[in-house]
Amino acid sequence: MQRHKTRAGILSAIFMGFGQIYNRQFIKGLMFIAVEAVAIIYFISNLARAFWGITTLGESPSRLEKVKGIAKMVPGDHSIVILIESLITLLFFVLFLIVWYMNIRDAYKIGAERENGRPSHTFTQSLRYILDYKFAQSFLLLPGLGILFFTIMPIIFMIMLAFTNYAAPNHIPPAKLVDWVGFETFRNLLVLKSWSHTFYGVLTWTIIWAVLSTVTTYFGGMLVALLINQKGIRFKGMWRMLLIIPYAIPQMISLLLMRNLFNGQFGPINQYLGFFGLDGLPWLTDPFWAKVTVIVVNMWVGIPVSMLLIMGVLTTIPRDMYEAAEVDGATNYQKFRIVTLPMILFSTAPTLIMQFAGNINNFNAIFLLTGGNPVNGNYQYAGSTDLLVTWLYKLTLDQNKNNMASAIGIILFIIVAGFSLYNYRRTKSFQEEDMIQ
Amino acid sequence: MDLKKLMVITAACSMAISISACGSNNNTGGNAAATNAPAESATATDNAGAGSDNAPAAGEIVPEEGASLVIWESKEERQFAEEISKQFTAKYNVPVKIEEVAPPDQVGKLTQDGPSGLAADVIVIPHDNLGKAASASLLLPNDIFAEQTKAENTEASIVGSSYDGELYGYPRAAETYALFYNKSLVKEAPKSFDDVIAFSKTFTDKAKNRYGIMWEVGNMYFNYPFIATTGGYLFGKDGTDKDDIGLNNEGAIKGLTEFAKLKEVLPIKSGDINPDIKRSLFNSGDVAMDITGPWELAGYKEALGDKLGIAPVPTIDGKTAITFSGIKIFTVNAYTQYPNAAKLYAHFASGKDSQLTLNKLIGSVPTNNEALKDPQITGDPFVSAFAEQAKNSQPMPSIPEMGNVWSPVNAALPAIWDNNADPKAAMDKAVEQIKDLNNGASAQ
Repeated sequence: MQRHKTRAGILSAIFMGFGQIYNRQFIKGLMFIAVEAVAIIYFISNLARAFWGITTLGESPSRLEKVKGIAKMVPGDHSIVILIESLITLLFFVLFLIVWYMNIRDAYKIGAERENGRPSHTFTQSLRYILDYKFAQSFLLLPGLGILFFTIMPIIFMIMLAFTNYAAPNHIPPAKLVDWVGFETFRNLLVLKSWSHTFYGVLTWTIIWAVLSTVTTYFGGMLVALLINQKGIRFKGMWRMLLIIPYAIPQMISLLLMRNLFNGQFGPINQYLGFFGLDGLPWLTDPFWAKVTVIVVNMWVGIPVSMLLIMGVLTTIPRDMYEAAEVDGATNYQKFRIVTLPMILFSTAPTLIMQFAGNINNFNAIFLLTGGNPVNGNYQYAGSTDLLVTWLYKLTLDQNKNNMASAIGIILFIIVAGFSLYNYRRTKSFQEEDMIQ
Repeated sequence: MDLKKLMVITAACSMAISISACGSNNNTGGNAAATNAPAESATATDNAGAGSDNAPAAGEIVPEEGASLVIWESKEERQFAEEISKQFTAKYNVPVKIEEVAPPDQVGKLTQDGPSGLAADVIVIPHDNLGKAASASLLLPNDIFAEQTKAENTEASIVGSSYDGELYGYPRAAETYALFYNKSLVKEAPKSFDDVIAFSKTFTDKAKNRYGIMWEVGNMYFNYPFIATTGGYLFGKDGTDKDDIGLNNEGAIKGLTEFAKLKEVLPIKSGDINPDIKRSLFNSGDVAMDITGPWELAGYKEALGDKLGIAPVPTIDGKTAITFSGIKIFTVNAYTQYPNAAKLYAHFASGKDSQLTLNKLIGSVPTNNEALKDPQITGDPFVSAFAEQAKNSQPMPSIPEMGNVWSPVNAALPAIWDNNADPKAAMDKAVEQIKDLNNGASAQ
């Protein structure tokens, strides 16, 4: 009685569950048969349309037809809806293929067991096996499906948009169809003069902003934390509380207020400067000064976070290190450079990278404070302080250039993910879990 | 697949019903209500010559059985929508639900939600968004009430409600801007911008933040007079030719040169002027004149009382200033389940009485000819001043390319105002950008 495994495998490949029935596992077999039956019914009516949909993205747009002087809506293909529906069907199809493969493997394995003289499991034994040995997998099955359809599916959909011409004014469904255009959107963004000029300009500022805002808040926070921790500083709790306040106020409120504070003509800041006989600065209206302003305001918002973090680290530095340094006759500065700084950097490097990645997409700081302004006549729909992410917002919500926005989103993701990974792998705390020497 | 069939069947059925409804008398509550349909509408169609032979006459249309409507209305004007919906429900027995969506956002929301059947049946939009929605076939044309709408409303509002030769909208209010002034500071309203400069020289004091005049100098909407009055234009002569852009022609540059002259009396960066600051300065008497729209009226009246005056925008280069006007229009969602009820609502809510109600509650300028002659309007110095200015206004173009204009021009104006850029060079750049965008910047 050899060759059970091949027979069972082939039978299961022909129709799910046949191999299991051949292996005398009737209940499991029937369940597989039921799954395949449902799948066949579902795919017969949907799969062909899904393939048609994902390749053509619809063929006839909606239009109005006049019947006896009354216009009637004749619904046609809505490319974007078709894209999503096809995507869902195809995902189901992939899931089905996985189940189909598992069923073949299952039949084959049980067949192999039988060849070795072990009888097939009964249904209760199978259940127990799943609950005991495969508990994690079976327990994660439902959340996994949820993630697939509510997280992964939308991401795939959004990535797909970058390869279509889904943009105002000529390709907005339902009256118009959307088509695949391959890499044309990326080419326009990176090469075509009218877009690339804006893209590189905004990208450059995004990088500058990310570096400056991260560095200023981190070292600012470190400075404040060290100051408060000095011996001889009294009311430590009060200083801490005062410095944490900016972080506690919702940015929505504080940044919108800042907008008025920094108004070049009527803002209190320039009024005070005028009071001392100084000319005010064009805080928000000059491209250069607007950039300075957002960095400064971001320091005000971001320093408390770094301060808290670094204060926590400071408490973990062993006292005896400082004592040893003092015995060796180290100055205060040397103590900071040789003991404190490396310890802080070692513990906070991963957080620093997180902050950097977060700052690349710091939507709030820019959108609420300047809205990307001052306007820049050389840019397409972007202002001088727009980051890629706020520009993306404008392109999508104000201009309906969805494919462009999607392409920018993909590029942003590649930048952030690539940078974070590369740096994270190089940090000491990732490479060696033990203490630095 | 099945859904499609169902749609076709419903479409066919509703067609059949609407045709049969003309002749037969099915016993629906709606029909009973329709029998006491307003006599005025019947006479109005007679006056209009009951033009189209094949469309059913307006008086005979009845809401679908079991119809209920959802409408979108702005937060500020919700009061009006509630009032009108109450009257509509009483008259036609159709329940109406109101959802708050700001008019400029409605087309965007309709684009997203319309095809999936989640949008409102009747929406209110500024007419410059009409092209975007109509070219995407999101709206049903105003066909049944077309003759009546055209006969009853002003020319400009009909132009604003039409796209590509087809009437879509049911106009409800005209909106333009005029010169608000503080009578205690300005003896009489200036006739020309030269007068404005002359007065402001005596009043403006940058150190004390006092200015003779202030308006949003970086926003094309308010600065259109400096383009159009002296012969500039946006898209051809009637706002429909996307390839004929006259923003940088000789006339426009002439007007913008006048615009740049005003910097002398308003020495502020364009980015520092925002509506909130302007409002507070005007209310406190530190700004003597403000060019803005009727949405500020209620607040200014409260702050200044009888010191408030409104005059037409001053002349530019000796010519009467031409402002931009926006028409607020009702339109019907093409995906509505109850097209008849929706059309009835849009028509009802844009009629003479409804426009007068809107004026009473909000202070809007009607587009209905009879409403404009009503003592309620002519007796109100503020509203009639806006109505006067509206006569010298051009409706914003409503072609979809209108969306490509704002951003480049709103970048060119600050360049002229803040950085003393040459108007010609700045506008050339803006026009080039608009053309790029119109041509999809890449055949997009």
